[in-house]
Amino acid sequence: MLLRQSLQALACAAIVFVSLTGSAAAQLRGGTDYDVAYLGQPLADPVAQFNKETYASFGCHYCHGLNLVPRGEAPDLRRSTVVGHDTNGDQIVALLRKGIPQTAALSPMPQYGDLSEQQLRAIAQWIHYARQRDRIKTISEAKPGPGDAAAGKAYFEKSCASCHTGGFANIGKKYDATALRTQILEPKALAAAATFKLDAMPNAQQHAARDRHNSLLENYSAADVANLVAFLQGGN
Amino acid sequence: MDLTRRELGQLAMGGIAGLAISKFGGAIASAQAAWKPNRSLIHGVQFGLQPFCYHDLVPSIENRPELIKRMLKNGMGMVELHSGWCEPTFSGPGVTGQQSREQLRKWRTSRSDDHFRAIKKEFDAAGIEIYTYYQTMNDSYTDAEVDASLAGAKLLGARGNVGSYGLRLAKKFSEFPAKHGMFLGIHNHDNLSDPDAFNSEESFLKGLAYGPQVKATLDTRHFTAADGDCLGFLQRHHDRMSSVHLGDRRRHNGRSAPFGEGDAPIIQVLRMIRDNQWPIPAILEFEHGTLRPQVDEVQAMFDYCKRALAT
Repeated sequence: MLLRQSLQALACAAIVFVSLTGSAAAQLRGGTDYDVAYLGQPLADPVAQFNKETYASFGCHYCHGLNLVPRGEAPDLRRSTVVGHDTNGDQIVALLRKGIPQTAALSPMPQYGDLSEQQLRAIAQWIHYARQRDRIKTISEAKPGPGDAAAGKAYFEKSCASCHTGGFANIGKKYDATALRTQILEPKALAAAATFKLDAMPNAQQHAARDRHNSLLENYSAADVANLVAFLQGGN
Repeated sequence: MDLTRRELGQLAMGGIAGLAISKFGGAIASAQAAWKPNRSLIHGVQFGLQPFCYHDLVPSIENRPELIKRMLKNGMGMVELHSGWCEPTFSGPGVTGQQSREQLRKWRTSRSDDHFRAIKKEFDAAGIEIYTYYQTMNDSYTDAEVDASLAGAKLLGARGNVGSYGLRLAKKFSEFPAKHGMFLGIHNHDNLSDPDAFNSEESFLKGLAYGPQVKATLDTRHFTAADGDCLGFLQRHHDRMSSVHLGDRRRHNGRSAPFGEGDAPIIQVLRMIRDNQWPIPAILEFEHGTLRPQVDEVQAMFDYCKRALAT
């Protein structure tokens, strides 16, 4: 009897807990604690959303813009060489820790030395994510040029061949130019949404591949992509 | 703009509450003498808002009704109004920066006084005093344009022009506001590497020496980030201050922080103003991040200040 009562109490407590945490999450996403009108609808990708919320929680967007469209004196992080050369967030995190006190701007960039490593990394990851999305949008919307196959070959050998050792001899037959362009910008094989779910998280090799592709993506010009398309279509 | 019955009630209650509270005795009566009763006069300290706080609301003529609506929601009776809320913009497709600048100059020097009178009416109807006009003038301004801008601010009822000036521009414009019966508010930032910047007590002293019409608009956030002593500054220069821009940051060029989480002595600043009966408005301003709607964040800051003054 006592055991049954205890089990019932436990079940009730669990239901209350689930219900409370559920409503708290709903409130965070759609209620008054999350300004959807200003911050935009929460992203389907929970990792990116977490990074975005961290970026916004520390006010980075007031100067650099939520999606990196700068406001006021701040540099354009979509074009920044510091961000472009950053790997794994190391340079951005180091810069966030120290700030940029010496500057000609009215307000120097503050230092965020009191933030945790996780918070700093989340900010860096949002900057990279937003830059990648902007680069995909910009290049996708640009009118594709004819492309220079020789320049594409040189780019491939310098930046792609170390991983893609076998080349892509027949890829030009499989994909047309538009599809190739899409594959270069967002390879389908790496397109799985980021997740906190353990059994769905990418493995180390997939992580490395995604990081490498994203790093290239952040620095692609429309000409780079057109040249690669021309090279790959030519049977390389 | 007509006040609702509820807003009129709130306005009256704000004034009555300020007058009725005897706990702070003469301090309240004296400080209130500087301000007409209004809803954000709290225990003798006049609060106002830098609408920059509504980060999602672009300063524009079109957004001005929304600004007033939000200020009423936050219980604000005073504002430091940026010129962007009052002036038209002339930029657009095919218009160069130089062309739009010339058109703005032309507008400023030829506009009707009724333009600013109508804006003042909107704020008067809402019970919001326009304390200062924020417009950072620069070398591109002609003398006629400076005078026209200040005359417009005066029509709004503004007591001073405030801007993010450096020493050189503050000196250049220091003589102009007095012609219009106004002061020039010099606002600090925390750039310690620029010798022209207002960033320390020493730099403020240089600016204040340009004339009695120059006043310090002490930004507690940036002063703290520049490792300045806000309380010492208030003690020494309270009679030369136009307002405090009240917000929080961490020292050593630290980040902006929610009220109470940084190093700015917000509570002490407010109590010092209250207890010494100084007619120095506290203009709320924030740049720390939040996921909440900006109106809610302003309310949280304002409530923090009210609690600070309640004891």
